[in-house]
Amino acid sequence: MVRHKAKVNREVCLSCGGCIAICNQDAIRMVEGKAHINDSACIGCGICINFCPVGAIGKVDAV
Amino acid sequence: MKYDVVVVGGGPAGSVTARFAAEGGAKVLVIERRKEIGVPVLCGEGISKKIDSWGMLDGRNWISREMDGARIYSPNKTMVKLSAEKAGNETGYVIHRDLFDQELARKAMKAGAEYMMNTKAVGLIKEDGRIKGVKAMHFNEKLEIEADIVVGADGVESNVGKWAGIDTTLKPKDIESCLQYTLANVDCEDPFTDFFLGKKIAPGGYIWVFPKGKDVANVGIGVLGSLSRPGLAKKLLDDFIKSDPRLRKGQPLRVLAGAVPVSLPIKTVEDNLILVGDAARQVDPLTGGGLTHCLEVGKIAGEVIAEAVNEQNFSEEFLMRYERMWKERIGKKLERNYKVKELMLDLDDKTLDKFADSLKDYNFDEFSTKGLIKALVKKHPSLFVKLIPFVKG
Ligand SMILES: Cc1cc2nc3c(=O)[nH]c(=O)nc-3n(C[C@H](O)[C@H](O)[C@H](O)COP(=O)(O)OP(=O)(O)OC[C@H]3O[C@@H](n4cnc5c(N)ncnc54)[C@H](O)[C@@H]3O)c2cc1C
Ligand code: SF4
Ligand code: SF4
Repeated sequence: MVRHKAKVNREVCLSCGGCIAICNQDAIRMVEGKAHINDSACIGCGICINFCPVGAIGKVDAV
Repeated sequence: MKYDVVVVGGGPAGSVTARFAAEGGAKVLVIERRKEIGVPVLCGEGISKKIDSWGMLDGRNWISREMDGARIYSPNKTMVKLSAEKAGNETGYVIHRDLFDQELARKAMKAGAEYMMNTKAVGLIKEDGRIKGVKAMHFNEKLEIEADIVVGADGVESNVGKWAGIDTTLKPKDIESCLQYTLANVDCEDPFTDFFLGKKIAPGGYIWVFPKGKDVANVGIGVLGSLSRPGLAKKLLDDFIKSDPRLRKGQPLRVLAGAVPVSLPIKTVEDNLILVGDAARQVDPLTGGGLTHCLEVGKIAGEVIAEAVNEQNFSEEFLMRYERMWKERIGKKLERNYKVKELMLDLDDKTLDKFADSLKDYNFDEFSTKGLIKALVKKHPSLFVKLIPFVKG
């Protein structure tokens, strides 16, 4: 059971694309110029969270 | 819409590929999701002067400043200097990446390539598993662009490769998490690119200061993904700037986050598909430099594509010429520098200081990372025994 999902704060994201290259679930895309995580694909591994140079990605509880 | 070739991405890799394909007679379309080529700039903007001899760019407006050399600082600030007069060789430029990319695009357009801006590839057109073109959004209009060859020049994100079934996902240890400020009001009198190493300064990467002028510099950091924590790149860079007397008073003209692939080469060809540049992970894994490779490899890609169009053969087997040729050109260097990157990860700060001390008065015979590695192997053969085969010749 996945307890957390990753979520991008659009105000903080600087669109480097790194999280997209690193996510092995292919769960992230650029949407209107900022990274966006597809909830149903994200397994909450946290890899993208640690990568983000500006700390734009956080954990939220999965529903 | 039907083209011989559709190139996804109008960065250096895409534009150079487009140019040489068009010069060879192919009908080429480049689609770019941005609304201006080269903007925003996501780059340190350092490049070797060896590009001069390739003659791919006209004019000089894309050059911001000419460098006299490079200085590498170990954790205790021992300096190793590679200068033009010492190495008797070419050094580098700090460029304006926006103008640089636009000049490469202009050359491609002159050769006959068409460009569409504000046009984002969203998938591939496939028929019976065969790639037939690209699905795209142009403003808010859906487009289907048919083409015999799709070029994935879409940078570090590399979606085109994934859509074609190539695994382009980077492991955290194979990607740098970067942040950079362009600072004004700094003191960069000397035309040298500076590199600062150390586990505390930039774990698994380095901090760079590339002066664009006497009081303007790109100051950036790369931290290896596997050693990164949320926002670490920004925190470490901010700390460094505060601690450096030359930079402390600097004010930002620009801030950018970046991601640089520092992996081993991947598969770059499928039936009807070619990957180039960052999308193909053709970046020097030690320095993170990708621009010269985009030019070298883009030319090969464009020429092979033109041959494929002339012979109407778009099979993986035919396009493998490209992969063989680019590996011949830069493959060995990428492998060597990947090994050095891995070795460097095991070195503690004291060892780095010791290395720097042993090289501080060294006369380098080559202004390049190869020259530096050669010198290290010479001074510390036991430690670098794994590298000896890579620096012969
Ligand atoms: C912080 C940082 C500092 C760097 N410093 C240096 C340096 O000093 N020297 C050096 O040599 N290299 C440096 N590099 C590496 C260098 O920037 C890259 O190697 C180079 O930009 C790669 O060029 P490219 O054409 O492959 O990709 P890019 O320049 O990234 O171009 C890709 C293009 O594709 C477009 N695109 C992406 N997806 C789509 C889509 N779906 N549809 C349409 N268009 C799309 C993008 O908008 C972009 O314009 C640095 C990189 C970073 C991040
Ligand atoms: S890594 Fe961070 S800054 Fe980069 S695209 Fe992802 S969320 Fe945005
Ligand atoms: S948490 Fe893991 S699975 Fe979810 S988006 Fe980030 S990298 Fe992908």
